Amino acid sequence: ILARKFTDKHEWISVENGIGTVGISNFAQEALGDVVYCSLPEIGTKLNKQDEFGALESVKAASELYSPLTGEVTEINTALADNPGLVNKSCYEDGWLIKMTVDNPSELNELMNEDAYEKYIKSIED
Amino acid sequence: MVILLSLKNCFQLHYGLKIPAAGFRCSANTGLIIQSVSSDIYQNLAVEDWVHDNMTLEDRHVLFMWRNSPTVVIGRHQNPWQECNLKIMREKNIKLARRRSGGGTVYHDLGNINLTFFTSKKKYERMENLKLVVRALKALRPQFDVRATERYDLLLNGNFKISGTAAKLGRTVAYHHCTLLCNADRFLLSSVLKSPYKGIKSNATPSMPALVKNLFEEDPSLTCEIVMDAIAAEYARCHKIDHCITLINPGDETVFPGINMKTKELQTWDWIYGKTPKFSIRTCFNMVYKQSLLEVKVDIQVKHGRIEACNIDLPEQWLPPAMCSELEKNLTGSKLCPSETAALASTLLRVCPQNYELHSKWSLLCETVMTLM
Repeated sequence: ILARKFTDKHEWISVENGIGTVGISNFAQEALGDVVYCSLPEIGTKLNKQDEFGALESVKAASELYSPLTGEVTEINTALADNPGLVNKSCYEDGWLIKMTVDNPSELNELMNEDAYEKYIKSIED
Repeated sequence: MVILLSLKNCFQLHYGLKIPAAGFRCSANTGLIIQSVSSDIYQNLAVEDWVHDNMTLEDRHVLFMWRNSPTVVIGRHQNPWQECNLKIMREKNIKLARRRSGGGTVYHDLGNINLTFFTSKKKYERMENLKLVVRALKALRPQFDVRATERYDLLLNGNFKISGTAAKLGRTVAYHHCTLLCNADRFLLSSVLKSPYKGIKSNATPSMPALVKNLFEEDPSLTCEIVMDAIAAEYARCHKIDHCITLINPGDETVFPGINMKTKELQTWDWIYGKTPKFSIRTCFNMVYKQSLLEVKVDIQVKHGRIEACNIDLPEQWLPPAMCSELEKNLTGSKLCPSETAALASTLLRVCPQNYELHSKWSLLCETVMTLM
């Protein structure tokens, strides 16, 4: 498993056997508040890096989700339909959003590792 | 393609300036107040999309004021069949729109004011915006009992809702919009916001029904114009800008390049109905045929606004089973829409035996099924 990587839009992706699992970071879920609805794409949807792939509605607002990489959606987390709160409770495990192929592995180099992401959060919080 | 235009460039061309009593110039550097000349919901929602997609608002704020002709607006992840009476809306030509922000269903007409507060994502602050509105109203009528709740509603006299809120967070821009009931048709509002459809099971976001009231009922001398002006004045005071409202035409591609495409997208069936989260309808009907009561059981799965699967259970042999399964088969894949179902039904009728009894039973069944839509 490749270590988790982060985007500046607070999504994370973790790749195993060529398939990336995507979710939102703890910083993002805290900022979002209680998630009441997850709008996710259909399996087979082709995404370019930074394409909007869905939305999360929380008590705070509706927020768009942006694809960290270029690839095709292979699976969506159907547990979120009845339990959208999983995104808040377990954003790195049970609250994953989609799984997708990694069409351009070099794009991973453009993302932040955990340390860099922590530094990034600190800088924007000021 | 995202076009980043400075506020200065956007609003230089072809618009009418409402000249305030004091001074000509609009200091559009930190804030801008715009008001739509259109009462078309799709055009006005498109303005929101346009600002959201095209402007950077690092240290700037925009207030957008707009009103619409009779329309029901549902939230991004809502189910119109669950939220409103589509039948009455069709009869009275009331439009249906789905907005991109979250939240619940509202009724708009020209007696309702919509306010959209645009800021950078960092400066997104709903309560501040609502407090601004409260201050504006209290400046107008100090005796008014208006306050904001934890749910971001505005209440009049402690228990009547006069405003509801929704919001959207984008890449860099955020917006918070809210309604404000000045002089809307409350009775029509109540009837269209009550769904007649039974047996719906859905995980769409629900609305929270509330008792509503118009500001006009508290003070008949208040008009929408007076209220909008007061809010603009308070906004101008807060952001230290001139009290100057720029009128905008949401159809003007020269000021808003690409906006007409956004307007079109908001009007498509696929956006309005097709974006409805998957749901099922499981219910029983009673049909009256020649003085006997017949029970019909329906089980329909709807995805993207289309019938994914359907099962219609009729009393045995009331209709030839082949006809019933033809109906089920043809409904599958079609839109959950009465006119589409009617067309489908009459097409099927042409290929079945010319038998008066059969035809009248068929028509009754189809009309009954259409009441679901």
